[in-house]
Amino acid sequence: MSALFAASVGALPLQLAELFTFDALSSVLFDALSKAAVYAMLAMGLTLIFGLMGVLNFAHGSLTMLGAYLGGLVMVVLVTGATGPWTRLAFFFVGLVVVFGLLSALGATLEVGLIRPLYDRPPIYQILLTFGITLVIDELVRIVVLFYGLQPITEWQEALGTKPYFLGQQLVLGPVSVGGMDLFEMLLGAATVAAVWAFLTRTRYGLVVRAGSEDAEMTEALGIDVRRVFTTVFALGVGLAGVAGMLLMWDNNWGASVPLATETLLPAFVVVIIGGLGTFRGTVVAAVIVGFADALAQWLFVNSVVDFPPLPQLTVFLILVVMLVIRPQGLFGRAEVGGH
Amino acid sequence: MTETEATTEESWLVRYGREHVPHLLVIAFLALYPGLYTLAVGLSLPAPLGWVPDLLYAVLPRVDTMIVVLYFGLFAMSFDFVSGYTGYLSFGHAVFFGTGAYTVVLAANGLLPFVPSGTPFLLLLVLAGLLAVALAFAIGAVSFRLSGVYFAMITLGVSQVVYVFVRDWDYVGPNPKDGISVSFDLHPGAFEIGVPFVDALGLGIGKLTGDTLAIAGLELSTVEVSYYCIGLVVLVCYFAMQRVIHSPFGKVMLAIRENEERARAVGYDTYRYKLVAFAVSAFFAAVAGGLFAGYSRAVSPDETFFFLVTGDALLVSIIGGFGTLAGPLFGTWFDELLREFLSKEGTGGGLLPFLQEYLPQSVLDAVILNGMTVGEAVDTFLNGHASLYLGLLFVLFVLFVPNGLLGTVRERAGGRVSKRVAARLRSRGGTETARGTASEDD
Repeated sequence: MSALFAASVGALPLQLAELFTFDALSSVLFDALSKAAVYAMLAMGLTLIFGLMGVLNFAHGSLTMLGAYLGGLVMVVLVTGATGPWTRLAFFFVGLVVVFGLLSALGATLEVGLIRPLYDRPPIYQILLTFGITLVIDELVRIVVLFYGLQPITEWQEALGTKPYFLGQQLVLGPVSVGGMDLFEMLLGAATVAAVWAFLTRTRYGLVVRAGSEDAEMTEALGIDVRRVFTTVFALGVGLAGVAGMLLMWDNNWGASVPLATETLLPAFVVVIIGGLGTFRGTVVAAVIVGFADALAQWLFVNSVVDFPPLPQLTVFLILVVMLVIRPQGLFGRAEVGGH
Repeated sequence: MTETEATTEESWLVRYGREHVPHLLVIAFLALYPGLYTLAVGLSLPAPLGWVPDLLYAVLPRVDTMIVVLYFGLFAMSFDFVSGYTGYLSFGHAVFFGTGAYTVVLAANGLLPFVPSGTPFLLLLVLAGLLAVALAFAIGAVSFRLSGVYFAMITLGVSQVVYVFVRDWDYVGPNPKDGISVSFDLHPGAFEIGVPFVDALGLGIGKLTGDTLAIAGLELSTVEVSYYCIGLVVLVCYFAMQRVIHSPFGKVMLAIRENEERARAVGYDTYRYKLVAFAVSAFFAAVAGGLFAGYSRAVSPDETFFFLVTGDALLVSIIGGFGTLAGPLFGTWFDELLREFLSKEGTGGGLLPFLQEYLPQSVLDAVILNGMTVGEAVDTFLNGHASLYLGLLFVLFVLFVPNGLLGTVRERAGGRVSKRVAARLRSRGGTETARGTASEDD
């Protein structure tokens, strides 16, 4: 027994030592950064909405899924077999604008029509309502997808096929090589984070949003129509969910499918809670942490240091539980946040 | 009820019976349901009304489905017990349902240490409940430090950890993702509900393995026997929870929901109350899970530990009445009724077979739009998509009927239904007491 134990402990560092080679480290690093970018994009909209309005948007995952399908639709319509890779990339950004626009409009409608009547009720009712929206959106998408003869459970292959060829390849940049899609995710994620960050800190409207998060009543007293800000931010958050969905539509690990709704909702929650509900900075930091933990666990499993298949997924949730035990309000959270 | 009771000459039994008239009516209805169902479906009416039995067949849930209503209703009640009464949304409640279900199956397969495969089912249910209580204390100790949205999220997170873990844990069976079933080699007999260790005083449940029964000229099928046995357990659990809610402990739970700070200021250690309420509800959730496993003999992570299972409980609680104990049961009934009515296979009757029988083929083949016929439209938009309509209904309930079905009835009646009916009966019975204090509310 003790010999066995010693043997397994002795073997472990050997395998672990492989981690500290340049190739392994760089691959884990890039994997982690691309995952972090995806997590950040998934969680950003959620945190903006919660930070300002104290509404935990349970429909966020479904809206991401909707974005994935809409984005896929735009791509499938625009792209033909003859379309060149750079044109495809350009179409992607066209699609991004379309998806952002459509989902923002949907978000604004939802906020005005359904969520606004609930601000006076206990916060639980907003969870309930958005949960109901989830049920409706998921089932509607399933009906539409089935109607057009697509398989709702598996990824939408046709949309995956619109990806330019170089995003599916390993790109060699000097001494390191990085997956094209990983790099694209990192760049787009960084750009989105930067854009939202700039919006929040460099524009007048961003100032109003931050003020509203700080103290909605006081902001209103200063003559700002906070209700309208709520609608704008909800639209913005939903639009960001759609943008994230459009990105995942090209990702082999996710792809457009109906279960994408729950698959993205839960990690988004985890990231937002670890960062502290409603703090933008916390969400970005948490996304990086979760991305690294996920990538590391993935590496440990793939290289059979640990023989436990659910490890990567479990890690994400375990960080959540540990975080909640140590610091329940999250990294940058205040205990009283969202107490409208 | 502080008014002078003019009914002292009545025996307590009469008074007790009167206060439980709605209970008795519901129980009687449920007890007669299998018979009523057979009767309604088999009815043959004269020509102008000939469609009635077929419609009933299409709409009414089968007895098989009613069993789901019973055990899932119990789960929904246990969810509502903590969420509706203390106001803490337990979004990870599925973890207790799963604990119960997996305890039963693992124990029957001899995979649970110290628990032999032949352990009586009722003892397994209690064991499952106790395991869930232990788990609830562990989860609650952490999560009750926070409130509102955070509490919902922590419980959700913990339940997801367990879900992912169980889904890939090959100890439970060769293919944990698809679930596990009770092995017929290790546990050939049915799970019995009755007096433990006395075979003659127990009845097996399960569609294939259960017992049949013939009493007083009535032949009860395995499904019907299972229905009554499971119904009995659910009934006991319901009254146990109802007892807790109407005890001083239950009043503190309500106080926590209404104003926790004030409850604390009055001197209640709310943390401890919340923890115990959570544990009690976990116990019954696990019993519900155990009943599910005992009846179906197979469980999978997706129908036990997954967070959408909690979502279903939430849905039926809102529709039935959040913060009423019996409401979730009615909500589950409605939910299953609609799902069966719009089911894809059309088992147990459904919308499409009914329409096919009663609408002329020309109507079904009529083209609405772009070559889609009425029949195809029904198939595309209605069948198998009950979730959509339930979701819409759910949203409408959240917005406009936040008290749910039973809660609204209670509000209209001006108090708890059982109290109101009792008061009405008493005033009609000629005794001079005024109607019960209408403001009595819980």
